[in-house]
Amino acid sequence: MQWTLQYEETWLHRLNPAFKLVFFLSLFLTLLFVHNPNVMSNLTFVPFILVLFATGHRRIVIALLLIPFLLLFFSSASSMMFFGQGSTTWWRWGIVHITEESFFRGLHIGFRALNFALLGLLFALTTRPVFLFYSLIQQLKVPPRFAYSFMAAVRILPVMVEEFQQLRAALLIRGVKKKKGLRRVTQSIMLYAVPLLSQSIRRAHRIAVAMEAKQFNNKERTYYYKQTFSKVDIYFVLYIIAGFCLSYWIGYTFPYFEITDVRN
Amino acid sequence: MKRLKLSDILITIVIALVFGIIYKLWGPVYAILKPFGLHVGDVIYGMWFIAGTVAILLLRKPGVALLAETAAASGEFLVGSEYGLSVLLYGIVQGLGTELMFALFGYKRYTAFVAALGGIAAAVGSLVMDAAYGYVMDLALWNLLLLIGARLLGGFLIAGILAYFLVEALEKTGVTTLIRPASDEDYKALDQ
Repeated sequence: MQWTLQYEETWLHRLNPAFKLVFFLSLFLTLLFVHNPNVMSNLTFVPFILVLFATGHRRIVIALLLIPFLLLFFSSASSMMFFGQGSTTWWRWGIVHITEESFFRGLHIGFRALNFALLGLLFALTTRPVFLFYSLIQQLKVPPRFAYSFMAAVRILPVMVEEFQQLRAALLIRGVKKKKGLRRVTQSIMLYAVPLLSQSIRRAHRIAVAMEAKQFNNKERTYYYKQTFSKVDIYFVLYIIAGFCLSYWIGYTFPYFEITDVRN
Repeated sequence: MKRLKLSDILITIVIALVFGIIYKLWGPVYAILKPFGLHVGDVIYGMWFIAGTVAILLLRKPGVALLAETAAASGEFLVGSEYGLSVLLYGIVQGLGTELMFALFGYKRYTAFVAALGGIAAAVGSLVMDAAYGYVMDLALWNLLLLIGARLLGGFLIAGILAYFLVEALEKTGVTTLIRPASDEDYKALDQ
């Protein structure tokens, strides 16, 4: 969802957004049933290649966005590695108990988290939100009330950012001092969260009234953008299927790890 | 009275998107705390349930908690959450948890107690998703219990109590008169 970033449009941008969403969600569910770490690590490359080469964004942007992913990989993998159950002990130090089983299970979870993250990034980098909401209405029959509310709400966000800056400047001028510890939390709720939320609630209410005054309703309507399916949707599905087949084939023919099922 | 009007939906989604951005910013905070592994960091996980309780406490209509939590998760996803698509499914299940608690009380009670239950139920929802997603059942027992305890406490404190006080503070600004459906007491007040 990049309003300001410069990018070239690629074939991934031309996928039908609603189809992309449903397809990605089904990929997510499919990945939950992959228990072989060899296959899972191979599968990570399927979205990774697209993120690297096919989003049309600048390399530096991609690189910056990928940094938190490393952190994510370690944070997802670590608890299971250190505290998971297993019988073949590798290392024990106090409460930390690394076993062969828990280590590979941790690794597997890390790869899976990475996989989901890459798919999510791929989606976010190649989907224009407005097209997504139009597509949700047109292909998935989401009631326009919900989709248009979403689009209007997205437009309010920049106004809120502006308001936040204004608020901060006003507080600075009046010399409001930051409190310490837990009182800092209550202070920032009272000074920032309450005014920002109440203002945006009022604004949202006004917008809704205005929309209804202009006869916005759920009846038959025409659309400025028409979302359709095209050949690229088929290419994309073929790419994913090929990626899955290849990952399974490599995973079973040239395994890197001995463990083939991380469940107990 | 009970059906969601356009203004209800719009307000819910606006609030939810604000929280969606907080959700996104919360990701790195949580990821930094988590490698310490003892799951104490999971207390702050409760922040990820707060949209549902805040929205339903404000608007007091059925379906709002589910809508808010789902919308917040979509917002988080659209701004490029590092948890990717999984946040969408987590959001739906967590929202369902909160929604269920308010439904149990017939959408009639909007107290701190019900809000706390809603927060805890959302935490349960997230744990259910974790069980499918990350093999949490294969953690050593003491560690698993710590995870569950911290998660529930976080849901209770942040999504329950904190959310309740946030809404109470919002009530003082008068915005709630704009958005809540007229209650029986309001009609009684007219009769006098």
